[in-house]
Amino acid sequence: MKLIHKTTLYYVVISVPLVGLAAFISYFVIKAEIKNGTKEVLYTDNYNAKHMIRSFSHPQNITLSSDGYSKIKMVSKPLDKTIFIDTLIYDPIEEETVEFTFLKSNYWYKNQLYQIDIIKNNLDAEELLEGLWEGFGILLLFLGFGYLLLNWFISKTIWKPFYKTIYHLENYEINQHENFQLVKVSTNEFNNLNKSLNTMTNKIQEVFVQHKEFTENASHEMQTPLAVIKANLSLLMQTSNLTEVEMNSIQTIENSVKKLTALNRTLLLLTKIDNQQFSEQVLINFTELCDNVLKHYSELISLKEINVEKNFHDHLWFTMNPTLAEILISNLIQNAIRHNVKGGKIKLSSTINSFVIGNTGEPLSIPESDLFIRFRKGNTTSDSVGLGLSIVKSIVENNQCNIRYENLNSSHLFIIDFINND
Amino acid sequence: MKILVIEDETELKKSIEQYLILEGFLVESVADFKSASLKIEDYQYDCILVDISLPYGNGLDLIRQLKKNQSNVGIIIISAKNSIDDKIIGLDLGADDYLPKPFSLAELNSRIKAVIRRNNFNGNIKIQFNEICIVPEERTVKINAEKVMLTAKEYDLLLFFVMNKNRVVSKNTIAEHLWGDDSDQMDSHDFIYVHLRNLRKKLAVKGCKDYIQNIYGIGYNFNLER
Repeated sequence: MKLIHKTTLYYVVISVPLVGLAAFISYFVIKAEIKNGTKEVLYTDNYNAKHMIRSFSHPQNITLSSDGYSKIKMVSKPLDKTIFIDTLIYDPIEEETVEFTFLKSNYWYKNQLYQIDIIKNNLDAEELLEGLWEGFGILLLFLGFGYLLLNWFISKTIWKPFYKTIYHLENYEINQHENFQLVKVSTNEFNNLNKSLNTMTNKIQEVFVQHKEFTENASHEMQTPLAVIKANLSLLMQTSNLTEVEMNSIQTIENSVKKLTALNRTLLLLTKIDNQQFSEQVLINFTELCDNVLKHYSELISLKEINVEKNFHDHLWFTMNPTLAEILISNLIQNAIRHNVKGGKIKLSSTINSFVIGNTGEPLSIPESDLFIRFRKGNTTSDSVGLGLSIVKSIVENNQCNIRYENLNSSHLFIIDFINND
Repeated sequence: MKILVIEDETELKKSIEQYLILEGFLVESVADFKSASLKIEDYQYDCILVDISLPYGNGLDLIRQLKKNQSNVGIIIISAKNSIDDKIIGLDLGADDYLPKPFSLAELNSRIKAVIRRNNFNGNIKIQFNEICIVPEERTVKINAEKVMLTAKEYDLLLFFVMNKNRVVSKNTIAEHLWGDDSDQMDSHDFIYVHLRNLRKKLAVKGCKDYIQNIYGIGYNFNLER
């Protein structure tokens, strides 16, 4: 829920009962006032009626109001006391039961007892109160509308730096840190926020650079001792009269050095991909790239007697770093060759925004979900370090694409969806 | 043939020296930028191996210095940083080759020989090994003056053996030489076996002796004494 909606909601939640309460109180205050007013009017009329009686030349009955309710009549029996009362009477004009106020009193004049009935309906007062409710309703409506307008205005002006900060944060890329610097604004709170964010991102950047350098340096530093081991193995091998056992040991060490070297190199590559250090972007023709990579591995393919089937519907173009694109396709093709069987098949196909590589081979020996996880490999004795597919995934993800695995008629399919490709 | 090794890692420097001396080269070595700079100023070498990160300086500056003196010495960069940028800069500056660490000494040896061959004889050289004659410029092989048709990999394999004659080279070393970084992506030993079998056959047909000696199945020795 947006902040502006939330505050508006709170305003409304508070305003409705407040305005309601105000209306409620106003209702009673006004009602009491009206009653007082009515009372005064009735007594004034009563006073006027007495005045009228005093001007009578002879005793008579007289109707005072046009509705015929208020009147002066001659009576023989006096009332116990003056009656002042509210009562409900059916009013044929309004066709409803209406509240009336009565003032009944006696008056003696020239030995004649009169009863003065002053009766007024409270219709005006009731309508006034009804109007009051309406008025408060409209007031509430205006308040709500006012809040919305005010909030819209506030979010457009006061919150502007905040939304700007969010925009910058959303677009923050750690390897392009130099472009990130939140500027000073006039609101203290937002200024503090920006300052804190600047400090935070600077720290993150520092750690990022250190980490990046560490991984790179560690990998580089490992190369030298590996070089020493490898060189000495070469020398050791030249020693004459080595026994088979000794030679086998040398071989074992050499194999391990080779694996370690490959591992080191691959980890370095993964770090570089994850750090997005391959920034150059070029529009690449993937179908053409595929042909080149296949040519590169043609020897391997023919030695394994693999039959390659290409089914490129369209030329697949995608903007990507050229080195990464080559690594991506190479790794997929290598994977398809490595896990193939002798005399097997590799099928390549593409549409305008997807690339599919399929190969025949043994069923998966690891769960499908583990395919792209680092160091998960089917055959633990193989020379592979188990990073090929994680590199593929890393490249694909860093280019906002998608890769899936499917098993179709016992062949392994890897499908890359090039999202946002036009 | 005189080689200068510029490498700050003592153990590695010692191994390289040892292997190259075994190959019959005259080897001198220095461990830092300053002494390297003095050496290349005062003496002539056939090939210089230079590490990029050195105490007191950068190996690339040594290449600049060599090129300023218009020396046509062969230069091979040996670097722990397998960086494409360094490689491009180095080769642009006039280095002949770039060998990332770790490398096998047999590979280094064959690269040095290739560089010297190209620099000293404009590549116009025939490598004679008993009845085998290799012309690197044409990538052709003759046995007793009779041409043998070899595939690219078979040729590379034979040349590598001849460059490292009388040395034991492991299958891993051969695989790296033939396939580079791809060698750890495949069951390379089987492929070497296939290529080697074909090479042996083709040489034998032309009456060449089998110089390739199996060493307990882990490597080979192209051996004259056989």
